[in-house]
Amino acid sequence: MPRILLVEDNEMNRDMLSRRLERKGFEVAVAVDGRQGVDMALAGGYDLILMDMSLPEMDGWEATRALRARPQTQRVPIVALTAHAMAGDREKALEAGCDDYDTKPIELPRLLEKIDLLLKRSS
Amino acid sequence: MTGPATDLTPQAVAELRHDLRTPVNHIVGYAEMLLEDSTDPAYATCRAALQETLGAARDVLALINATLAPTRATVDRRELDMLYDSLRQPQHRIQQAIGGLLAAAQTPPGATAVDDLRKILAAADRLVPAPAPPASLASRAASAQPAAPSGAAAAARILVVDDQEDNREVLRRRLEREGYVVDCAEHGRAALARMAERPADLVLLDVMMPEVDGYAVLQELKSAPATRDVPVIMISALDDMPSIVRCIERGAEDFLPKPFDPILLRARISASLEKKRLRDQEKRYLEEVQRVIAAASAVEAGTYRAGTLAEVGGREDALGRLARVFDAMATQVKAREDRLRDQVRELRREIDAARTRSAEFSVPLDAGTLGAGQRFGERYEILAVVGEGGMGTVYRVKDLELGEEVAIKTLRPEFVSNATLLERFKSEIRLARRITHRNVVRTHDFGDWRGVYYLSMEFVEGLTVRQLIDMRGRLTVPSALAIGTQLAASLAVAHEQGVIHRDIKPQNLLLDAQGVLKVMDFGVARLAERPSSLTEAGLIVGTPAYMAPEQLLGEEIDGRADLYSAGLVLYECLAGRLPFEATTATALIAKVLTEAPPPLSDLNPDVPGPLSSLVGRLLRKQAQERVQTAAELAQLLERME
Repeated sequence: MPRILLVEDNEMNRDMLSRRLERKGFEVAVAVDGRQGVDMALAGGYDLILMDMSLPEMDGWEATRALRARPQTQRVPIVALTAHAMAGDREKALEAGCDDYDTKPIELPRLLEKIDLLLKRSS
Repeated sequence: MTGPATDLTPQAVAELRHDLRTPVNHIVGYAEMLLEDSTDPAYATCRAALQETLGAARDVLALINATLAPTRATVDRRELDMLYDSLRQPQHRIQQAIGGLLAAAQTPPGATAVDDLRKILAAADRLVPAPAPPASLASRAASAQPAAPSGAAAAARILVVDDQEDNREVLRRRLEREGYVVDCAEHGRAALARMAERPADLVLLDVMMPEVDGYAVLQELKSAPATRDVPVIMISALDDMPSIVRCIERGAEDFLPKPFDPILLRARISASLEKKRLRDQEKRYLEEVQRVIAAASAVEAGTYRAGTLAEVGGREDALGRLARVFDAMATQVKAREDRLRDQVRELRREIDAARTRSAEFSVPLDAGTLGAGQRFGERYEILAVVGEGGMGTVYRVKDLELGEEVAIKTLRPEFVSNATLLERFKSEIRLARRITHRNVVRTHDFGDWRGVYYLSMEFVEGLTVRQLIDMRGRLTVPSALAIGTQLAASLAVAHEQGVIHRDIKPQNLLLDAQGVLKVMDFGVARLAERPSSLTEAGLIVGTPAYMAPEQLLGEEIDGRADLYSAGLVLYECLAGRLPFEATTATALIAKVLTEAPPPLSDLNPDVPGPLSSLVGRLLRKQAQERVQTAAELAQLLERME
């Protein structure tokens, strides 16, 4: 069962997305800010990270850069999630080291497709 | 904030987009999850409410994306106010749908369903902070400028066009003091460029300018769709009346004499803006009227989608009410049509299943009737015998004049021997010929050939409800409803024309391969009547099994007797048998007159309670206790599920 780390500060987003992913057969762990996300990811054991970009403590871009800088998390796929949907967001996320990018509101089938593709690619 | 008076900075726009999309994300996520849990048909109400919620959420997202597109750097305050206003309608839809489920305690399964529904409501509440405008917005839009003039929702933007710098400055200062946002252009070309870039709400235009003068600018503005409706006030010296008249003829709203009088300036500008506001309102109103009209055409064309009028329905005036009522009606009609389509589909399935066995039911040509290939009169060639009934024989024939297949029904001589009866029959047939309805077999002609009276009518390829019941034992609820609804529709039209069928029974109901029901023999039963009472032996033709009590008693009857018979047809479709059975006609009549029919749901547990009691109502001995009209019956059946 693939393990996903969901880094998300908004409680309702966390609750909703983790439950939806669990229904689809993923094991989901959650982190509530960028720093906790980085700590948990470094501890290891995750097949993919879903990273909200606007996070307290350390934002998603910074957290992604931190994870990319460490050997143990260098290759873990990261999907950026944002509700900003600003022009250039996507480029900014990819530049920070994310593998893909999706906007909220989440379209689950679209996100699942991206997750599947990344998991296949990394395995 | 450093942006201009009423604009949001790019950062503020991004934050606002984030703040609005986040609740949409919650609404969509929880609603989709709950929808996954509500697949069981028992949760149809929940599904409908959740789908409505998802539809509204999609509308919210489209509205947010339209105003706050990622490519837009700034957004002005008025657009934001409009966005918030437009979000109220889908927000309300979500609150209604989800609040309705919670209020009726009709929630999807699962321990967290109620909590999740509440989360959807909480998210919907966050879409539009109540009351408008939101506090967060106020902090985002800088307010370095004085308040807009009273009565205006936001500061209007005015473009001052004058080649004299002094004039421009005086006007700018005065107008800014009044609370307007002022932009200036020093000549005509600059004015047109500014207007093309972003039309102002009003233009103050000097007439006399070098190069491109006021007339030319006015003409240009009035000929471009984007600026046509922007009011233009001409600035002119008072002694130049001919110029002023010329400008007003070309579409200028008003004029301001130089030197400017502050009171006049204020009055003319606010009057022009107010007129524009009213015009815009009227224009919007007419556009929305157009949308209601377009929706009506869509309903006619069968392409109307529920919720199309959502935006117009958000209005608080009579047009909004019309749109809401219209939308609700069109949606109901569509639901009803869908239901009927499903029922007919089920009926077709049963017909198809029965047709594979229908060979057993073809009527052999018998020696006593005409054979295939023989002529019937000058006009018809016999193709086959399709039925043999109490009153005569039915043939499928070719109409040699028209090259079409029709049906001919011959009538046994005993039915047409009495001249009075024959006349009455003819007048009944004349009436019946007027009935044009997809559920009625068209009657063409009545005539006689070599002493044999006959009726020619539309030929329907198919089988009778009698055959269908005999082959299937009994029918499913949707099939029976498809039959009942169509039968009631045909009776409604006939009764309206003053024609009572008098002999509704499964043998007289034809079904074509598409599941369309066609009622045969309107008016024909007149022939079987005798002006005498039941006590005389042998007067009831065929079986009295489908006749209403008052008909059996030889009393005067009306459409409600047909409704009794329709009730029996429904009963038989659903139970596979009639409520009253006896070995002799007398015993049967006694039962019809005195016994209560066993409730349908006792014989077939699949029949829903409301349908069982509706059939029970049709079978009341007293006509006044039945459903009173066929139109009402049609409506009641259409609503059954």
